[in-house]
Amino acid sequence: MAALTIDGVARSFSGVRAVDDVSISVGDGEFFTLLGPSGCGKTTLLRMVAGFCELDSGRILLGEQRIDTLPPHKRDTGMVFQNYAVFPNLTVGDNVAYGLRARKIRGEAIRERVARALKLVQLEGFAERRPHQLSGGQLQRVAIARAVIIEPKVLLLDEPLSNLDAKLRVEMRGEIRRLQKLLGITVLYVTHDQEEALAVSDRIAVMRAGRIEQIATARAIYEQPATPFVASFIGTTNLLNGRLLSRDGELVEIAFAGTAIRTSCARGAPGDAVVMSLRPEALRLLAAGEAMIPGWTTLTGTLCDIEYLGAVTRFAVALADGTQLQLMALAPPATSGAVVVAFDPRRVVVMGGPS
Amino acid sequence: MRSLVAGNGFRLAVGTITVVFLGLFFLLPVIKVFAASLLDASGRNFTISNYANILSNRFFITGLANSLTIAASAAASSVLVGVPFAFCLARLPIGAKAALLALAALPLVLPSFVSAYALVLLFGRSGIVTGMLQSIGIPFESIYGAKGIVVVYALTLYPYVVLPVTAAFKAIDVSVEEAAQNLGSSRARVLRTVTLPLVLPSILAGALLVFIEALENFGVPFVLAEDQTILSVEAYKLFVGETTDNPASAGVLGVLLIGCTVAALLVQRAILSRQHYATGARRSAPLLQVSPAMRRLGAAYCWMLVAAAIVPFAAVVVISLMQFSGPVLHFGLSVDNFRQLFQRSYRPLTNTLLLATLAACGAMLIGVPLGYVVTRHRSRVSALIDVMATSPFAVAGTVLGIGLVMAYSSGFVILTGTWVIMVLAYIVRKLPFSVRSAGAILHQIDPSLEEASINLGVSPALTFWRITVPLMLGGIVGGFVLTFVTVASELSATVVLYSGPWTTMTVAMFQALEGTSPGIAAAAATVLIICTLVPVALVYRLLRRHELSML
Repeated sequence: MAALTIDGVARSFSGVRAVDDVSISVGDGEFFTLLGPSGCGKTTLLRMVAGFCELDSGRILLGEQRIDTLPPHKRDTGMVFQNYAVFPNLTVGDNVAYGLRARKIRGEAIRERVARALKLVQLEGFAERRPHQLSGGQLQRVAIARAVIIEPKVLLLDEPLSNLDAKLRVEMRGEIRRLQKLLGITVLYVTHDQEEALAVSDRIAVMRAGRIEQIATARAIYEQPATPFVASFIGTTNLLNGRLLSRDGELVEIAFAGTAIRTSCARGAPGDAVVMSLRPEALRLLAAGEAMIPGWTTLTGTLCDIEYLGAVTRFAVALADGTQLQLMALAPPATSGAVVVAFDPRRVVVMGGPS
Repeated sequence: MRSLVAGNGFRLAVGTITVVFLGLFFLLPVIKVFAASLLDASGRNFTISNYANILSNRFFITGLANSLTIAASAAASSVLVGVPFAFCLARLPIGAKAALLALAALPLVLPSFVSAYALVLLFGRSGIVTGMLQSIGIPFESIYGAKGIVVVYALTLYPYVVLPVTAAFKAIDVSVEEAAQNLGSSRARVLRTVTLPLVLPSILAGALLVFIEALENFGVPFVLAEDQTILSVEAYKLFVGETTDNPASAGVLGVLLIGCTVAALLVQRAILSRQHYATGARRSAPLLQVSPAMRRLGAAYCWMLVAAAIVPFAAVVVISLMQFSGPVLHFGLSVDNFRQLFQRSYRPLTNTLLLATLAACGAMLIGVPLGYVVTRHRSRVSALIDVMATSPFAVAGTVLGIGLVMAYSSGFVILTGTWVIMVLAYIVRKLPFSVRSAGAILHQIDPSLEEASINLGVSPALTFWRITVPLMLGGIVGGFVLTFVTVASELSATVVLYSGPWTTMTVAMFQALEGTSPGIAAAAATVLIICTLVPVALVYRLLRRHELSML
């Protein structure tokens, strides 16, 4: 049974559809991420679940219970805000206890649970501190402890790491994931950082202009993008325009850049224009005299624009028809000038329709 | 940002109360003033002859010219002394800046006519310094008239320029200055072509405040104008009637005063609309590296300016403790002046304390919820109410007082002669401040704090009490005290509205000015200074955090 169901939800702000007929079903104990550029409607959707934004149409359910008609303070969703929103007038302990007190829990039970929650986020002994004495990362931990202590049916995180520096961000995202698995809690997570999304999520919904482009596991999102937008938003890719020549069941032949490849694709009829995604790491340079790999496609071009990045090197090859291919390899290319590029056609993702 | 805490019922109630209150005690009086200016002697027929009469009368035309010239000169001189001060404070490595800023802001809470009176006591015709100078043969020019008035305004109103401009100098993104230097500009050229244009909006905002305050001020010209005609004083004289009371002509002068203020506002907006600056500065602009000589020069300038502004008040306090026999001063300490001041009764003092407390409570009760609604719930209606609540600022106290008397001296509700009408006038006049100050506090409280509380299961109403109110409390107390002290030294509306038993300290001083002994007036002024300084000192720490930035 789904822990959180978002069913046909829509909302417009002065004529602009911020959230446009979105349906999502999040499983029990699943870490589900809404990913997209700023303004794509992901935060609006999260705030709809929390009750801070009204729906024009659609329903939201927690388990069997419809919640979009409830006031926000009766929804049992724990939210972690982008700027932490730790109450500056309360101590760390009182911040964490805040939701328990609202639930009429008193006395020893509170002390015990607050201590346990603070231990969980590695803030033991911080209960008496004031928020202004804490660093950004510590405030973030307080915000998380405060949200999970009420044992919410779903934990909502709104870009929780965007105010932290790069190193702490990587550390905290691992910790959030560890905590989520430990508590077995259902999470709805909002971020614009694709690496963060890939690193922590069970499933990701990529959003654009209020609509969902694709919902899939991190791996499928990267390796089998459904649309050109998903392919280019997650990581980098080569988007190539081609034309479908013939079809034999799933097997298709596609012409592009003066050559033709055979791959599999369910959609499109002969004569249709198609867009393909080919990841830079799927391409490789053939060293001079190196034998052709059976079944692979080769293209000739000129090497240009080498970017040495340490662990990897990025470079571009200009094909005869003007197309530029982005490549990525562990070592910088040994050759220069005219080169041969090879790739396995099965790694080409065909998406149909021009970009 | 939508407000979660303020539900529809709350917003409706606050909106309704504000509209009704301002409609009855601000709009109606202003309309009455307009009506009086447009009706003939019988009070029934429409006429423009009142305007024709006033505008063809050289006496009033001179008054209008005087008022405008003085207000403009006051704004210009405040900018001239205030901008360098703000620059030193924001960008030069001089010491004791917190003290300097506090001392610079001080004149804003002290009654300006006390400063004017100090000038008379020291440099007036029979002033102490004048006497000394004359006795050693140095002739001394008169400080009466426009010159003296502008000096007093510059010294008491320059903080209106200093506070916003200091903040603006600090908010400048220093990389813009560095870019100009990198492109080959000298320090001086950077200042002229980059820094000053960037703070221009704040300079204009400050200058406008000075202009409006100077235009509406009643006490300073009353003390210093002598035979010069000044609109706000003439409106009072026409209305209260030294000869015969003349509501039509008083109305015309009131409308002219409102017109001048509105024109100044429009000019400022027209200038500002052509320049939009948003600075991307994340932290205060760093201090400039200057030679020790420059640093000392800057520090000397700042201390001299705050001293010049505060010395008159100190002088009044000292003079109030000296002995007088009639108008003649003897150098010797005594509390005689205070004894004489309170000889008849302590009523003026208790009246001032009582009325200022009531007015401050009223302004907070209406202003804080209103500030909450207009800040957290943006809509066309709330924007309209915001404009309405801010507009009393553009109406001179004298004019509001005259309007209130016109509206409530007959008919169903008669309020003239009561303390109620005075408190109502004070609340209306201070409402723009209390709404702004509540808004400023709220801007420092992230709405997500309220959302976090609600998300954790606390209802919106309870969230308001547990989170919003505690976080706003410091600011509310600070706003209360500032309202209290500015009401305590209010004169322009008071002088129109007070009646015998409700004489305030300001009126007592105003009356003593016309009496024989300057000692009593000085004693009254000292009492006023204490009434304003003590509360401010008590909550100074709160004010520093919340209010100085937006005074």
